[in-house]
Amino acid sequence: MWRYITKRILVAVPVLIGISIVAFFLIRLVPGDTITALLGANYNPEQAAVLRAEYGLDKPLVMQYFIWITNVLKGDLGQSFFTNQGVLTSIIERLPVTLELMIMSFLYSVFIAIPLGALASLKKNSLLDYSASFLGLLGVSIPNFWLGTIFILIFSLFLGWFPSGGFVSFFENPILNLRYMALPSIALGASVGAVVMRMTRSSMLEVLKQDYIEMARAKGVTRKMLIISHALKNALIPVITVLGIQMGYLLGGSVIIEKIFSLPGVGRLTLQSITNRDYILMQGCILFVAFGFVTINLVVDIIYAVINPQIRY
Amino acid sequence: MKEFWFRFYKNKLAFAGLIILLLFLIMALFAPLLAPYDPYQMNPGAMLNAPSSDHLFGTDQFGRDILSRIIYGSRISFKVGIISVGISLFIGVSMGIIAGYYGGILDNIISRIMDVMFSFPQIFLALVIMAVLGTSSTNLMIAIGLVYIPIFGRIARGSVLSIKDSLYIEAANSIGVNNLVIMLRHILPNIMAPIIVQTTLSFGFAIRAEAALSFLGLGVEADVPSWGIMLNQGKDWMEMAWWNAVFPGLSATLAILSFNILGDGLRDALDPRLRNDID
Amino acid sequence: MKKRLGFLLILFLGITILVSSAVGAQEIKKGGTLSITDFSFASARTLDPHIAQAAGSMRFIENLYNTLLKYKKGEYGSLEGDLVEEYSISEDGKVYSFKIHEGVKFHNGDDLTAEDVKYSIERIIDKEVRAQHFDAVENIEVMDDFNLEITLAEPVAPFLTYLAYPMNAVVNKNVVEANDDSLNDVDAGSGPFKLNVWERDQFLVLDKFEDYFEEGKPYLDRVYLKPIDDETARTTALRNDELDIILQVSAKNIDRLAEYPNINVESVAGTYWEYLGLNTEAGPLSDKKVRQAVAWAVNRDALNQMVKFGKAAPLTGGPIPPGHWADDELKVYPAQDLEKAKELLSETEYSSGFETTLIVLSNPDQLNAAQVIKAQLAPIGIDVEIRSLESSVYFENLGNGDFEMTVIGWVGFVDPDEYLYNIFHTDGIWNQQAYSNKEVDALLEEGRRVSDQEERRKIYREAQRMIAEDVPMVFLYVNPQASALQQSVRGFDVNPTVSTISLTETWIDE
Repeated sequence: MWRYITKRILVAVPVLIGISIVAFFLIRLVPGDTITALLGANYNPEQAAVLRAEYGLDKPLVMQYFIWITNVLKGDLGQSFFTNQGVLTSIIERLPVTLELMIMSFLYSVFIAIPLGALASLKKNSLLDYSASFLGLLGVSIPNFWLGTIFILIFSLFLGWFPSGGFVSFFENPILNLRYMALPSIALGASVGAVVMRMTRSSMLEVLKQDYIEMARAKGVTRKMLIISHALKNALIPVITVLGIQMGYLLGGSVIIEKIFSLPGVGRLTLQSITNRDYILMQGCILFVAFGFVTINLVVDIIYAVINPQIRY
Repeated sequence: MKEFWFRFYKNKLAFAGLIILLLFLIMALFAPLLAPYDPYQMNPGAMLNAPSSDHLFGTDQFGRDILSRIIYGSRISFKVGIISVGISLFIGVSMGIIAGYYGGILDNIISRIMDVMFSFPQIFLALVIMAVLGTSSTNLMIAIGLVYIPIFGRIARGSVLSIKDSLYIEAANSIGVNNLVIMLRHILPNIMAPIIVQTTLSFGFAIRAEAALSFLGLGVEADVPSWGIMLNQGKDWMEMAWWNAVFPGLSATLAILSFNILGDGLRDALDPRLRNDID
Repeated sequence: MKKRLGFLLILFLGITILVSSAVGAQEIKKGGTLSITDFSFASARTLDPHIAQAAGSMRFIENLYNTLLKYKKGEYGSLEGDLVEEYSISEDGKVYSFKIHEGVKFHNGDDLTAEDVKYSIERIIDKEVRAQHFDAVENIEVMDDFNLEITLAEPVAPFLTYLAYPMNAVVNKNVVEANDDSLNDVDAGSGPFKLNVWERDQFLVLDKFEDYFEEGKPYLDRVYLKPIDDETARTTALRNDELDIILQVSAKNIDRLAEYPNINVESVAGTYWEYLGLNTEAGPLSDKKVRQAVAWAVNRDALNQMVKFGKAAPLTGGPIPPGHWADDELKVYPAQDLEKAKELLSETEYSSGFETTLIVLSNPDQLNAAQVIKAQLAPIGIDVEIRSLESSVYFENLGNGDFEMTVIGWVGFVDPDEYLYNIFHTDGIWNQQAYSNKEVDALLEEGRRVSDQEERRKIYREAQRMIAEDVPMVFLYVNPQASALQQSVRGFDVNPTVSTISLTETWIDE
């Protein structure tokens, strides 16, 4: 077990190095740079050259990379030219918003999608099953940004039940916070819920078919108990993998959802850094998101290994 | 083959998906004949008109007919879908087959590159690539194409590995058949099933990604009638003209849905092991 | 030429009292908090007035500081004293003597003296961003704690206007030095409000400065400045009473918001003018007749209708907006004339038309205008490709002259010199169209030297006519400056320059 986990972590190292290279050099291919963005409407070439030299942007790229990565390893992601704020500080400042969004979306998936999927598999070919299947298909097909737009249209503009955007910290005003987060988290969680539900259903069907369930049934355990103790437990193993992968997609999807609902999260920070050509911040965000994605996958793999001891690499 | 069609037809939902898809395809092919108006024609006298018999889906802020723009929009979606999926299909499958077939260092390098690409959420990666390339339809297709390369790569590599040691390939190898010929003639056809399924599903992804990036203003040019652009502009007007934000999204959802249904159906039909449905 | 600002101030206050008594003799209610939003707030990047360039930063900063002079409330183009109690200008227009108010305190309790004023001007020059405002400054002499004299190398007519620019603020030398010259998130001001907290991209909180030098002001205890990106989110928040002011309402929402009983929409002629820029050195556009053809082919009224819901004021001559004392009242292009456009084009080598590109930001109004212009130029055979660019790429292209057409605008100018010199003078720092006309140059230089307003008006009228005929830009329209306010908000001045300095006198009637 520990050998597997160690190995799995070691495999992640070259990937992380690759990510840092991509994050750094991809950004350098961008047309236009931070200095031009900083000067904005007041751009003139002479002033730009002076500022470029001042910020070390005229050094060779490879050198800039090594300077950057050394600092990153020391925990210093640099300082944004625009906000004049430490990159790590800006990300950490906005992280709670994105995390809350992801966790809320995640909870919908777990507490609604899994029971629904299980129920659908038990009542196979019933109206409930069909509706759930259709809902699942719709959920994976509907673009989350459009769902968000429609939610705003219906629930904020026409009905006025929820605000159409903005954010209040949970610790400042929990109720208001939940009102602000309700629509975005449902819009973001819908597709994840749909995937999880579909997975639960098919995985349950698979498990129900297997022999040992039949045996357990023969021993006279009640049907309800059987579902809980055997089927669901076994069926959840692949579902957990899917959930892990979906957590990563939540991270990607949050970029658009945060934009639509004006949430001050990491996704919107990334978008802002792109618009501002804020190299340092953009690199930091890309690195951070990819790092988060890799970490989630790592954790999922480890959990998977723990709950499913048959698997060994 | 017959069995395939039977199983496919039996899955009524997949069949419905195919029909919807064909309708979209017809829409795209015959857009100039089907569209009641010129999708670019502005009309200051018909700004933000509600749906009516003149304009079934209403008009936008320039008085352009939304239905016509949606019909033309299907062209953009298919174009982006075909080209971007083509890019990821071609590069991804080639890389996957090479990695799987040759193994060793080459496999290691390709797999690590795929791993790195896989460590970014797809839409996020596409966004960053668009920022690097700049907004235009061509760049959009490249960005979406690049993002889906590793998926095809992994599927192809996995499939190759599963058949590489078969007697069949070994036999071809032993009689000195050229590697390229083996890959194209013998390996490729045998790994087609999962790739076809993935291609179908990727069309759905590509349409969604196009819409999402255009929605963020990082996609196609502003006056192009793309569903994403229409939604991007429509959301600014939705308080007074909901139809601007509703119909383009509905079309995108329907198109993605049809690809997803079709993909599911194909998976059931082509690969009985992966079937959802257990009888 | 001595002007007594103290007197003017008293007169002005008298008028305010008269006006408010006419409204219903309301007593000013002190206290309370006010929240205000604007689309520009998201661009706020620093609290340092001397390096701030983004409009959002300026709005965040302007209430923390004082300037020597300030824009006069309700009278666009005119000035009144802020820190300055009285001033005089020498006969040759080169020596400015200022007497500043005594007893002005910085937020940390330090006294504001002439030394701080001198230090601030030197810091502005040092920071480069607005150094050009003080290009002509030869010497700054501190006479005593409250008197100083600024000597210019040559007369600069708009010099006082520059001094009123909210970002040419007086900063506390001690605070600047204690913070290693960085005021990015530090308050070194003496303004009516002091910094409480700034949570980037979430809110800026300003608190009343109890020791403000103007007795009794400000009225409000606290001001929240909240960036809200999305216009729909802004309007819903105002409707739901979560906000008191939307600083800039887009044209399409002016009438709609006014329909709500608890909301007032106040609109004045603004300073935000937009134009279609034509690079005078790029291909077909280097031909003046081609540019004139474009100018005749553009239908400003239709644009105004489709992009601005008819709320903007079309510009038929130069850029100085109607209502400004230097308004040219010219009608060089009174209406679209496609025949004339075709005729002009047929006299050039591009009689059958040509292809060109138009670069634009993702700003919805400008993107929309670009699309309409594209449609309007199609009939005369000009095929426009619209390229929407990220702001940094866009401004780099613009600055390098690497474009053919563009749609963009300028905002916040007061003196005609600001409207014209830097943009249309051959050596102007923002002459992105690479425009050059020796006669225009001469007029613009003269306009800087002459101080008589009537004479300057004639000079600028002539310059604008020539510019309009040369068409480095097709002037489109000036946007109204419209703010939406809760009915209870009183005393807020909807200012053409979009400045919020009137928050000092704003109160809430509940």
